[in-house]
This record gives sequence, C-alpha cells and structure tokens, in this order.
Amino acid sequence: MEVLLREGLSLEAGAAYLTQLLRQAARENLASSPLRERALEWIEGADLQLLFTEQALKEDWKYTPMDFLRQPWTLQPFEEKLSLSEQVAPLAIESFPIPKSPWEALLVGAPVHRHIMLASDTPLHIALRNLGGLALELITVQVPAGARREIQLSIEGTGLSLVRLHLHIEEGAQVRFYYPSEGAEPKSYRYLIFTAHVEGKASLHTYALTTGTGWKRDEVRVFLAGKEAAAYLHGAASIAEGGVVDTAVRVEHAAPHTESNQLFRSLVEAGGRSTFQGRIYVARSAQKTNAYQSHKALLTATTAAAYSRPQLEIFADDVRCTHGVSTGFLQGEMLLYLRTRGIPESLARQMIYGAFLAEVVEKIPSEALRRWAEAKLLRM
Amino acid sequence: MLTIRDLHASVEGREILKGLTLTVQPGEVHAIMGPNGAGKSTLAAILAGREGYEVTQGEILYEGTDLLEMAPEERSHAGIFLAFQYPVEIPGVSMVQFLRAALNAHRAAKNQEPLDTAELMTLLREKAALLKLDPSFLTRSVNEGFSGGERKRAEIFQMAVLEPKLVILDETDSGLDVDALRIVAEAVNALRSPERAFLIITHYHRILQHIRPDVVHILADGRIVRSGGPELAIELEEKGYEPLLNPA
Repeated sequence: MEVLLREGLSLEAGAAYLTQLLRQAARENLASSPLRERALEWIEGADLQLLFTEQALKEDWKYTPMDFLRQPWTLQPFEEKLSLSEQVAPLAIESFPIPKSPWEALLVGAPVHRHIMLASDTPLHIALRNLGGLALELITVQVPAGARREIQLSIEGTGLSLVRLHLHIEEGAQVRFYYPSEGAEPKSYRYLIFTAHVEGKASLHTYALTTGTGWKRDEVRVFLAGKEAAAYLHGAASIAEGGVVDTAVRVEHAAPHTESNQLFRSLVEAGGRSTFQGRIYVARSAQKTNAYQSHKALLTATTAAAYSRPQLEIFADDVRCTHGVSTGFLQGEMLLYLRTRGIPESLARQMIYGAFLAEVVEKIPSEALRRWAEAKLLRM
Repeated sequence: MLTIRDLHASVEGREILKGLTLTVQPGEVHAIMGPNGAGKSTLAAILAGREGYEVTQGEILYEGTDLLEMAPEERSHAGIFLAFQYPVEIPGVSMVQFLRAALNAHRAAKNQEPLDTAELMTLLREKAALLKLDPSFLTRSVNEGFSGGERKRAEIFQMAVLEPKLVILDETDSGLDVDALRIVAEAVNALRSPERAFLIITHYHRILQHIRPDVVHILADGRIVRSGGPELAIELEEKGYEPLLNPA
C-alpha cells in the first residue's frame, strides 16, 4: 500500500489501513467456532470504513486523541504469560455480546483466542507484553457458579495493544478483576474492550489503576443478567503530561434487584487528559435496581483537561439511580488551610492529591495491589 | 510582638483597609469588633497570607520581621495561628495525618526530629480531651461532615496542638451554641499565658463574656476608630455600633 511508505498518515488513511489489516487478520483466523462465525457475519455485513466517520462512533471518541492512527502498524503477537494452563478450546459462549463497534467485531477474529475455565481458585494473571507493533488478543473466561476468583490483567511494552476480554460469571460467583497499568512508555497505546455477563446473585468488582503517560482506553460493558447481580467498578488514574486515560463504561441492569456502583477518580497533571463516559441503562424489567455513578476529576494545572459524560437511561419506574460528576482545580482554600498549619506547599499539594485518589485506592482488597497503588498513584 | 502600622489594603482594586494601626504585646488579648464590611475578614486574611489581597501602604512586623514577606507556612512555623471563620473540608486526609504533617513541619523548621506515632497519639488524645472531642474524631477526615460547632472546636484543638505564640480567632464564635462557645472559651483561657497573645475578631460581644480581653478595638471603614478596655465591648452591646460610629 502506498500510504505505508509515508511517514505520518492522515487519521482517515490510518484508520482505513488499520481496518484493512485487522480485517485480514480476522478473516485468516476465523476458524470454525460459532463465536467467530457470528463475528464474521458481522464483519462482512458492516461497512468498516465508517469506523471513524460515522457520527454515532465519533460521539464516543470525541474527546479521545487518536494520533496512533498516524503511523502504519505491523501485526506482531504479544509475548504472553498466563498463570494458568487450564485453557480449553474456544467455545460458543452464549453471553458473548454482539459487537457494538467495528473494533470489537475485528477483535473477535484475533489470531489467538484463549478460553479459560476458572475451575481452580488460583488467581488468573494474564500478562501481555507488546514488542512495539500491533498486537491483538481475545480472551474469554468462564467463572463457575458459586466460585470466588481473582483475575489480573497487565499490558506492558510499547505499540498498539488491542485486547478483548469477556467474563462469563455464573450464578452466585464473585470475581475481582484488577487492571493495574503503569504507562511508563509514552509510545504505548492500550485499548481494552472488557465485557462481563453477570448472572443472578453473582458479583463483579473491577479496579482499573492507571499511572503515568501513554494512551489508554478502557471500554467496559457489564450486563447484569440475573436477579441480585451486582457490579462495583473502580478506577483511579494519575495522568502525567502527554497521558490519555479514556474510560467508557456501560452498566446494563437487565434483571430486578440488581445493584451497581461506579467510582472513578482522575488526577490530571499539566498536558494530561482524562475522558470519562459512564452510562447506566436500566431495562423496564429491572425493578428495584440500585445504581450509582461517581466521577471526579481534579486538574493540577490549567493545561490539564478532563471530559465527563454521565448518561442515565432508565426504563423501569421503581429504581434508585443517581450520579455525581465534578471537574475542578485544587481549591486554593484547601492549600491555604494546610499551609497556615505549617505544612509546606509541595507537601500540602501531595496530601490533597493523594487523598483524592485514596478514596478509590483504599477500597482495593488486594494488599499487594493496594501497596502498589499507594506507591505509584498516591506517591506515599 | 505584632505591630501593624498604617495598613492599607485592597481587594480587586477596592480599598478595604484604610490606615489600620495596631500593636499587640505578648500575653495580651485584643478584641477587634466591627460591623459587617468594616474590614475584619480582610485583616484576618492578610495576617494568614491569603492570596488576592494587595497591601498598598504600611507594614506588619511580627517579632521584628516583615510578616508580608513570609509564606503562610513560615508564619505558622514562627508561631502564628489563624482559626478560620469557615474551616475547609479536606476529604481523605485524616485529622491524625494532617496534624502529624503540621507538627513535623514545625519540628523540622526547628531542626527537631519528627514525633513517633506513640508520642503523637498521646499528644493528640490529651488535647482532644481538653476540647471534649470524641477520640474517634482523630480518624475522621479533616472537617468533613463536621457540624459548625465541631469545626470551630477542631480549630481550637489544632491551636492547642501547635501551641502558637500569636492566635487570631476569626469569628470563631459565629455558629456556636452556648455550650460549644463555653468549651471553646475554656480552651482559649487555659492557653492564655504571658508569652501568648490573642487577637479575637468578632462581630458580637458574646465571646468576650467568656474570654476577657485586655483591649477592645472598634474597626469601622478600614480603620480602628476607638480603643478601650472591656467596658467598650459592653457599651457596644448595649447601644449597638451606630452611636459609637456616628456620635451626635
């Protein structure tokens, strides 16, 4: 392709090229699994060139810089390490959602598809290292009824990482999902599409912990399928210059007596950017739903940016559904208060910033990860 | 200890203080009373080092040093304490963390070793008892969810912990019920000493019934228009500001 020869593509050309690359990879790898066949139908049927031009999609990406499209990528597999070997052949997971975006459809055809049945209670650690190219991964995880499991995902290295992860959480199971991310490399682009299907009385706790620079987008979609299913989503991000942390959450309450809570905090330094879109969808049948969403962004400089878009769609009438969003600078009054007590300005700032993220960090159940977050995010 | 000479100060180009002069000696308790808009809060703000105030004329000397050249934390290290009229909430920072940082900063300024946890907790519990504060308040976030009375008590608690030389109480009595006022006043009285001075900024006479001042000043339109003994506060209480400001 001619565009390949040029340094710095236009966004449109980059998008078209990437689409073609992914489509090719998907086609070559679409072996006969019902899941992939379904994806193939979608890919063939969709006009993927609309990837970045269609209005609906644009809205979702409005505040997300996509400079990574300006370079030609080469497919290169992840160097991967999985703590468990209990992979089973890719199955047709009934709950695997119909792709909502071309990205997602293309990722169903990722060259590698792991399906893991979490039968033992050893924590599952998925460690992926990108060697600088375009790396794709599709992982589906099934958590059996009544089990308590821990899953940790880490994506390291540079390059563009596209990861599709789906959890199927059976009746009464409890899952904690950790996604710590230390974006030390400015040239790292990590795009995670995470979906979870949560059956009755099951619960999901997620912790997305991000620090540093680099580009990161987490698309999180949780489907509360059964009665008394619950999801508690947490995110704490400390975003340095040049860093982009983009979170798009959708929690769908599809059954009665379901509960969800989204608690996200972004501390944005000069030249950093935070984007948060949080949607709560309550279906007509999901009576007695209890849903809450809170996103706060604290900007440490006038060149920091934060965008928040809370969205509530409620079709049931007997629900409790609230949200709170705030974006602001450090209050001078707080700083003055600490300083009048003798605390030097730099320490005062650190205390206020740390306390802001601590609201999320102190809720991390894993001691090791809480310590990690305290050191990296709170700089304690 | 504190000398304010001919202080003129403006906020957003509007002159609020118009030649304020005041001298406070160690061991003295001064009350500054005045109607709304007289410049009471501006004076407190300038003494604390709040931004947004421009001193256009005059000077403030604290123990012979130019106070206006000192950062807020340096003023604190030098022994100045301001009890805020509206103490701010600091979510996520516990009272213990906050006072540990403050005390250790004070100690560092004096080249002293930081306090260990046991020493710190003993000190904080002792001072909390003085203010009749439940010890559980030490683990709560600074001022978060505190009632008006609790906030003011927490201010005086911090004062007791930091043991300043010059205490400025900015409308500490506002929003306090009778019992809370008594507790606050008792704590202040307990801390009165020949080395320590107090500047009580207030609108009402009420607090001065509990903390007897040595000198009462009346601040009006940016200047001290009258000074006198405690009887001046009583006169003010009986007649209001009007006859004192506009004698017939």
